[in-house]
Amino acid sequence: MHNSLEKTGIPTTAEVDAAFPPAERLAKGPVAVIECFQRIPCNPCATSCPRGAILPFADINDIPEINYEACNGCTLCLTKCPGLAIMVVDMTWKDKSGLDRAVIKLPYEFRPLPVVGDDVVALDRAGNFVAMARVVSVLLNHSMNKVPIVSIAVDKQLVPIVRSIRVDVRQRAVVCRCNDLDEAEISAYITGGTTSIEELKRITRLGMGPCQGRNCVPIALGMLSRALGLPIDELEPATYRPSVKSIALGDLAKYDDRGDGLP
Amino acid sequence: MKNTADYVIIGGGISGVTIGYFLMKYGAKNVVILERDYLAAGATGRCGAGIRQQWGTELNCLMAKFSCEFFENAKDELEIGDGIDIEFHQGGYLLLISTERELAQTKKNIALQNSLGIASRLLGTSEINEIAPALSTEGILAGAFHERDGHLNPFHTTQAFARAFVRLGGIIHTNTNVSRVTTDRGRVTGVDTNRGHIATDCVINAAGGYSQQVAAMAGVSLPLYSVRHNILVTEAVERALNPVIMSFSLNFYCQQVPHGSFIMGRTCENQPRDLRVTADSAFPVAMAKTITRAMPPLKKLRMLRQWAGLYNMSPDKCPIYSAAPGLAGFYTAAGYSGHGFMLAPATGQSMAELILGHAPTLPWPRLGLSRFEKGDLILEPSVV
Repeated sequence: MHNSLEKTGIPTTAEVDAAFPPAERLAKGPVAVIECFQRIPCNPCATSCPRGAILPFADINDIPEINYEACNGCTLCLTKCPGLAIMVVDMTWKDKSGLDRAVIKLPYEFRPLPVVGDDVVALDRAGNFVAMARVVSVLLNHSMNKVPIVSIAVDKQLVPIVRSIRVDVRQRAVVCRCNDLDEAEISAYITGGTTSIEELKRITRLGMGPCQGRNCVPIALGMLSRALGLPIDELEPATYRPSVKSIALGDLAKYDDRGDGLP
Repeated sequence: MKNTADYVIIGGGISGVTIGYFLMKYGAKNVVILERDYLAAGATGRCGAGIRQQWGTELNCLMAKFSCEFFENAKDELEIGDGIDIEFHQGGYLLLISTERELAQTKKNIALQNSLGIASRLLGTSEINEIAPALSTEGILAGAFHERDGHLNPFHTTQAFARAFVRLGGIIHTNTNVSRVTTDRGRVTGVDTNRGHIATDCVINAAGGYSQQVAAMAGVSLPLYSVRHNILVTEAVERALNPVIMSFSLNFYCQQVPHGSFIMGRTCENQPRDLRVTADSAFPVAMAKTITRAMPPLKKLRMLRQWAGLYNMSPDKCPIYSAAPGLAGFYTAAGYSGHGFMLAPATGQSMAELILGHAPTLPWPRLGLSRFEKGDLILEPSVV
């Protein structure tokens, strides 16, 4: 019982096997795989299917039943299922690379989206690494209910195991968000002899964007402190200047000329 | 720190580095720049860095034209690599004309400029609208425009000159404060600094807002004073303004730098003349009133930051390129009165010719200190 879907949120192999279409159907072309295990009041999959392949519900709490012969793997239901519980598997995808791969079409709501040609991490139903997978298509248009569909090519053997992907973002430690400066750039200036916060500001515009140094200056001072081997409190602090917080010129113009009165 | 030098330049702003660069370019050796803080820490790093060739005297036109052409070729001339971008934006300078008197003077200026090869022209209000759609032409009679004018990034431009200077063999000491210029029987003998004495028989005063103080260290009196000018910067937005807009009568200048920020300034009354560069709380309000009247769409733009720098003012608001009477080996390049950045290449060229005894290719002999004694001032109509 403690390894059950109710406890872990992860279906067992037997449950996944039961959710998969028979091998003969998989061999014929793309088809939806619905992994909906719990009776809840939810039926958009059935109402979304133009071919009636997902059978009409007698009770809104029903678990969907699919007529695999009617399903052509169009992916419409993928974008309608709020639980992202449906994927499409195409064992007949023509793999031009000569490898023996199938395509899995996944609803994928995280950002950033991968782009075609990316190698992403294929994950199993517990979120564990399975293999690297090549992205072969990324779809998102206005009819898709804001649910992108990412298609990945994976070894046919892995089709029953792979259920998600992870897109690894390039590791980049941003120091200044206003002017998009990262740690490597700031480090390069420090190594190049720019060893005061005022010089760094003037050369890179660090600290002079909309945040006016609230985020970046302490980070940059920390970097300077480590690079120079000096305690941070011995470094010259940055100059903070009025207006401290940004203010629209139109609002400023409403004040009297002394600059200290009300509009 | 090496304790001798052939030439010691005091000041690591744009003037100091251009003088250093041109001295090295024309064959000088052992040139040292001493900077109290870091490069461009003073007026250079605080200025709008606009450059215009639209002047009302032949002298300023020629010097500004030389400077602009230098900046146009700076990438090759200074061998600027990929690591540095001086952000030279040639969107032109549009001088707004709002009085008949300005219009008459501008027509004379344009005739003079055209005769010197500066292709400025008079624009009607419809042409002004085309060049600067954000600008309100209410109360504007005409505009003077020269499309090769523009602006640069003052820090990066200073860095580019400094690197070229160092590449040619020059030495820069930052965080080096000069406390005294030593002399002996009417000759310069060296400078005392917080890092020791440097013996030299030639000192060049390029200390910008502090020029008169540096001269005083050598016992030289200069007819200069420094006054605070304010400036502000806005958040960065997509390009909405191509030329620098400037108006003498409406009292403002405004430009959008390649990074996207608008930078603007105006002359305010009652500014301190004691080297203070603290913030003037009245300035942003007055500036906002002026600029939102001139360019109404800027009402929504947010100001981020204001600061101030020093204009080093001379009696005729034109630079001083001069030896010092009575003190051999002491030279001054100062008193730009707000135009030191745009004239910097001319400053470097002029001072190198003056110091090395070369024949003048620019009208610097007219800019000596003797003009004030003779009462032979330069009457430049196109200064703030």
